[in-house]
Amino acid sequence: MRMLRAGRWISGVALALLAGVYVRVLAYTPVEASQGLAQKIFYLHVPAAIWAETAMVLVGLASIVYLFTKDPRLDRFAASSAEVGTIFCVIVLTTGPIWGKPIWGTWWTWDARLTLTLFLFLLYVGYLLLRSAVVDPATRARYAAVLGICGMCEVPFIHLSVYMFPTLHPMPIILQPGRPKLPGSMLTTWLLSLGVFTLFYVGFVVQRYALSYLREQLEAAAGAGGIGHA
Amino acid sequence: MPDAVPQNGGFMIAAYVIAAVILGGYALSLYLRARRSLRP
Repeated sequence: MRMLRAGRWISGVALALLAGVYVRVLAYTPVEASQGLAQKIFYLHVPAAIWAETAMVLVGLASIVYLFTKDPRLDRFAASSAEVGTIFCVIVLTTGPIWGKPIWGTWWTWDARLTLTLFLFLLYVGYLLLRSAVVDPATRARYAAVLGICGMCEVPFIHLSVYMFPTLHPMPIILQPGRPKLPGSMLTTWLLSLGVFTLFYVGFVVQRYALSYLREQLEAAAGAGGIGHA
Repeated sequence: MPDAVPQNGGFMIAAYVIAAVILGGYALSLYLRARRSLRP
């Protein structure tokens, strides 16, 4: 319960700070001359993308260690991180086309970065479906760990896709060798937004982890043997 | 060139509203799931 409350508190702070980021983006961050106001979607899209990918990397790392240690806490963390990563991936896949339409003239194109991000989303969905489909907890954790490791292996390709297959999606302007190619005020806003998304990730994962633990305890107490939820 | 900046603020508003709805909706879903699990 303490963990659940902590997660709620962190998420609540993140929601309040998100409102602050919105105010900063709208009122105190300059408008980019060539793209107009649509460029400000950048402050949501990129932090969400970073956490969608990082969440999958953390799923993979936890899964690797799980396969060696069989520690259920790692499996629980991987499941929580995957669910939260799915949410961030949904944000990426909705804000991206909304940004793309006024700038590229199309909602979607089968560019390598976009396609691989869609594939990441499908991996997340597959991971969650797999967890809900397998009843035995040990088997479920083992199968999910293998899929989680596969998902982690995809993430470097997403990052490198713009270098390997340069088409419509722009090159990174922050996560690239050298200094970020952004004016100071834009970079500050972006860093604040990244901090808020980090808080969201932590708050959501802590809540989701506590929820899984709570369910397992209730099922164990009821003599159900941990069937069902993951 | 006073009108050189593209007028596309509606797209920005749509993206910000959708992101807030997704994040708020997920926070609400976690809250409701926890409340349901704690119900005797």
